[in-house]
Amino acid sequence: MAAAIEAVRRGCRVTVIDDAQRPGGQIYRQAHPALEGQEHAEPAEVARKHALIERFEHVVGKLDYRAGASVYAAFPNGELHIAEGERAEVLRPDATILATGVRELAIPFPGWTLPGVMFAGGAQAILKSHRVLPGTRAVIAGCGPLPLVVAAQLLRAGGQVAALAILRSLGGMLAQPLSLWRGREIVREGFRYAATVRRAGVPRFTGYVPVRARGKEQLEAVVLARVDAEGRVVAGTEREMACDLLAINYGFVANCELAAMAGARMRRDPLVGGWLPAVDAFGRTSIPGLFAAGDGAELRGALIAEADGTIVGAAAATAASRGDAALTAELADAIARRARHLEFQKAVRMTLALPAELWRLVTDDTIVCRCENVRFGEIKSALAGGHHSLNAVKRNVRSGMGWCGGRTCLPAIASLIELSTGSAPTEMMTPRPLTRPVSFAALARRGKVGAK
Amino acid sequence: MPSQFTFSFEGKPVSAREGQSVAAALLAIGERCLRIDEAGNPKGAVCGIGACWECRCSIDGIPDTRACMTPARPGMIVRRQLGLDA
Repeated sequence: MAAAIEAVRRGCRVTVIDDAQRPGGQIYRQAHPALEGQEHAEPAEVARKHALIERFEHVVGKLDYRAGASVYAAFPNGELHIAEGERAEVLRPDATILATGVRELAIPFPGWTLPGVMFAGGAQAILKSHRVLPGTRAVIAGCGPLPLVVAAQLLRAGGQVAALAILRSLGGMLAQPLSLWRGREIVREGFRYAATVRRAGVPRFTGYVPVRARGKEQLEAVVLARVDAEGRVVAGTEREMACDLLAINYGFVANCELAAMAGARMRRDPLVGGWLPAVDAFGRTSIPGLFAAGDGAELRGALIAEADGTIVGAAAATAASRGDAALTAELADAIARRARHLEFQKAVRMTLALPAELWRLVTDDTIVCRCENVRFGEIKSALAGGHHSLNAVKRNVRSGMGWCGGRTCLPAIASLIELSTGSAPTEMMTPRPLTRPVSFAALARRGKVGAK
Repeated sequence: MPSQFTFSFEGKPVSAREGQSVAAALLAIGERCLRIDEAGNPKGAVCGIGACWECRCSIDGIPDTRACMTPARPGMIVRRQLGLDA
């Protein structure tokens, strides 16, 4: 949104391709206007959301906003292939900004495919966007700040939270007082969420993780167990909790497939989103005319994404000949905001680090690739056969070949390869068109290449 | 569109509000299983944002339709998808 606003301000013709029905992305997700009900997020976050959406609404008449559309392929020649309902189209813009955001990371465990086991952000999206409680009795687990936020929001919406299990206490961030000071407005919101959870008397299990889920047609209970600092389950610490919703989040993974498909040079850093397009300070990838902004360029949160969007939107709208010095001077304000919040994000990152042994929660008979029902034991035999790259594992056991295109399982498989072989895969699974299923009807009705 | 209406899930009426997705309306009444996959595993909504495709089901006879991304509409006919069938 911020990038589009800036590009319009600089006189560009802008098309926004939005997977959602309304602008806002994941953090500033909007409910349908017909749905009454209140926000359960902190008022300060709601204010930031409305401020940005209002700025976007102000320019939406000057740009081509495509709601419910998605880019299913991006090529090195600059072509973007777009599906919108039952039709497809090819665009060829002068510059493309990928603001693809992140998805959630899960560590698979036995029973995690049962209906009722969701991503924590997914449960939050159901609440935020549809004003519906995704469960009547929830266990929320994982690491980082999101489980706490989701627990508080479910409680505020009238839900019941049976347990909040967090791998590492968020209190660990207190060791970085300067970072906390820089992010004080977010820290204040965090304390308020914690107060909601405390007042509700939710049992908190610090250092605990879900080790298995139980149920027939759907989730009935989850077993939590404590893990030590290396991530190994401590014997004798298991406790079973009855629930119909288990919301998990072990951090985030960048939606990097389009950047990689377009040929951009990629890097991997699991702490900030896994595989990411390598970008400079203005969001330029290694492909001329292809930019990346926000969490899809590096996991840094909504506040940085907004500042980053302004910076990258300006760079994409400006001829390269203008020079970075001029841009830096013009964008001093956004650049300073981005730097200030980054200090805080460094403290948040500490809470998202996953100890390697934690991946042993994935037992041999755990389904890792949900689409193709590939269990870890099958992946291990491929590894034993010397197939150590994600592409080779895929070719042998079909992991990552299903409906989701590997979005859910590939980050887990990369970490499991590292655990099993001692070295992380050096390349991501080659993303092929289409990044998402598109109907033949849509492809048959594909429009001509437009010079947008 | 009326603000409150019903659609059908597995032959039973489900009430929904305008703007809710099929998945949300079903979660609201505790219906979590939207599909039985090819291996016989029950599956439901996971990511809530259209990325994982686990909540795909049959909507108005069209298989593999994501319940989390499809707005509920009056009179819609939603069925659990069994394997590759609609």
